[in-house]
Amino acid sequence: MNIIVLLKQVPDTTAKISISSGFMDESTITKWSMSPYDEFALESALQLKQNCNGNLIAITCGPDRCSKMLTDAAAVGTDKLIHIHHEGYLDSIQTQTLLAAAIKKFEGEVIMCGKQAADTNSGSTGPGVAELIGASCITHVSEVKYENEELIATRLNSLGFEIISTSPPSIFAFDKGVKELRRPNVRGIMMAKKKEITRLTPEDLGASLTNSNINLISQMPPSEKAPGQKYEGTDSIHEIVSKLRDEANVI
Amino acid sequence: MDYEALDFYEIDSLLTDEERMVRDMVRDWVDEEVIPNIENACREGVFPDEWRVALGEMGVLGAPLQGYGCPGLSYTAYGVICRELERGDSGLRSFASVQGSLAMYPIWDFGSEEQKNYYLPKMASGEWIGCFGLTEPDYGSNPGDMITKAEDIGDHYLLNGAKMWITNGTIAEVAVVWAKLGSEIRGFIVEKNDPGFTAPEMKGKHSLKASVTSELVFQDCKIPKDRILPGVKGLRGPFSCLNNARFGISWGAIGSAQACFHSAKDYSMSRIQFDHPIASYQLVQNKLAWMLREITKAQLLAYHLGQKKDAGNWIPEHISLAKMNNVDIALEIARVARDIHGANGILDEYPVMRHMANLESVKTYEGTHDIHNLIIGRHITGIQAFTREA
Repeated sequence: MNIIVLLKQVPDTTAKISISSGFMDESTITKWSMSPYDEFALESALQLKQNCNGNLIAITCGPDRCSKMLTDAAAVGTDKLIHIHHEGYLDSIQTQTLLAAAIKKFEGEVIMCGKQAADTNSGSTGPGVAELIGASCITHVSEVKYENEELIATRLNSLGFEIISTSPPSIFAFDKGVKELRRPNVRGIMMAKKKEITRLTPEDLGASLTNSNINLISQMPPSEKAPGQKYEGTDSIHEIVSKLRDEANVI
Repeated sequence: MDYEALDFYEIDSLLTDEERMVRDMVRDWVDEEVIPNIENACREGVFPDEWRVALGEMGVLGAPLQGYGCPGLSYTAYGVICRELERGDSGLRSFASVQGSLAMYPIWDFGSEEQKNYYLPKMASGEWIGCFGLTEPDYGSNPGDMITKAEDIGDHYLLNGAKMWITNGTIAEVAVVWAKLGSEIRGFIVEKNDPGFTAPEMKGKHSLKASVTSELVFQDCKIPKDRILPGVKGLRGPFSCLNNARFGISWGAIGSAQACFHSAKDYSMSRIQFDHPIASYQLVQNKLAWMLREITKAQLLAYHLGQKKDAGNWIPEHISLAKMNNVDIALEIARVARDIHGANGILDEYPVMRHMANLESVKTYEGTHDIHNLIIGRHITGIQAFTREA
């Protein structure tokens, strides 16, 4: 079985984001990481690969820097690495088009991804790619098992847990999974160093980036929180109570 | 506050991708498994067995050794591993140093093919812990006059004597013990259950509390003939092990210093006195700037030494300089960091006093600070100053 995990490299959660001329300035970001929900998808994909003796392919789309994340994925046991190379901004539809074309090319049957990326939070990759390749899509998944040639997913909804069975082709978009991404070991790291990364351009995939009808107008930082207020001594009790009651509406 | 390793000159950018991946692997593990548990381990005076298992699973034990199930990394990678482990605790790094450089290395370099095949895979995986017996109660800096002796009794050797200050001794399956056979120092592999061998733990340490330190006692201890290390005679054997361990320490001490700097910086930024963070006062900034300066110099020493070790164009005196300098500044940085933390610095809520107490041992073991000065002094002048005799 061909299992594909879709990975996105995002600014590390500790990175400082700065905006210049209305857009995020990538050059100031010093640390990039695999998006956390994608890590859960990768861990589940590794387990599925072991359970069904499958072949695990990691696909990412983005600039040169993304290669490192693929090597990290190889260090924990990914078999094949695909880097769809594109420098510069890609909107959700363009990204989905490229990923869908690569999934078709490598004949992916079970596809796993994070439910949303830590940077854009758009949450559209799983459903968008599913639409393009005609696969079922199960979102907010915490676990996927392979039993009797069926894929059994656990997902959390507002009522509790749901258990859903499906058969390939299927896309699973991961929420926080049951198991954190495994740690690599030295052996894995040394194997990963030797693993070739297949680099493809949008043209190689026959994918057109011109059919997108969305346009990113500008980006801006969130407004700063107002500073806290500090009161000391019993004299301020009346003021605090009235503020909590009338301004904060908590009592 | 997430750990941000001080690397002012971006020296880690000189590492290979593989070395950086190994660094991140160990650093993550230390963050997740060591830092949350280290104070408890120190209080209880134990080396958590999970750490042995995890080090084996990560595959970092005996890092620079090739073959026989060993990782086959560069010496620079070994240094990076030591640095990241010691950022957690010097006792943890000591465990790895002893396992890799002092117990596995002599078997790897001086052992027979049978010995290598039998011991090394199990030691690389962490299944068997090793220790190294050189120092004796009365022979520390002067190991050449050791009194532990081995006798050839025809079909076996008989070992008599005692070793002291042996890291991992009580928990070890395998001990590499140096003893005099006639007038010659030889290495012997002693196994935990060999008759006449005991390894009582030494208690009451104020330093390296999460590391096991033991005596090794040999009373007519019978050792099969095939347990002598055939490949080396004389002090060159133990000294080549020590060179590798000291190399690792020169990197490891930087990890302790980085941890202390990180804590001192954080603390001074948030500690308010006289209405302002203490980091805004010149005396504290002077201390932080001095720490950064010394850590950066130590990093350059360690990195360059790593390159020389990997290229094979090093001499033991190069290692002496780095071990001596880096441990010395790390200890001083830990003391100054403790000072910046004020009274809070003595609590185990902060890592500084633990690192400080650990580094007092690190300054003394693996060649004391003063002995390394004498090694360099001999290199400069050609005159040895260890003894009064010529």
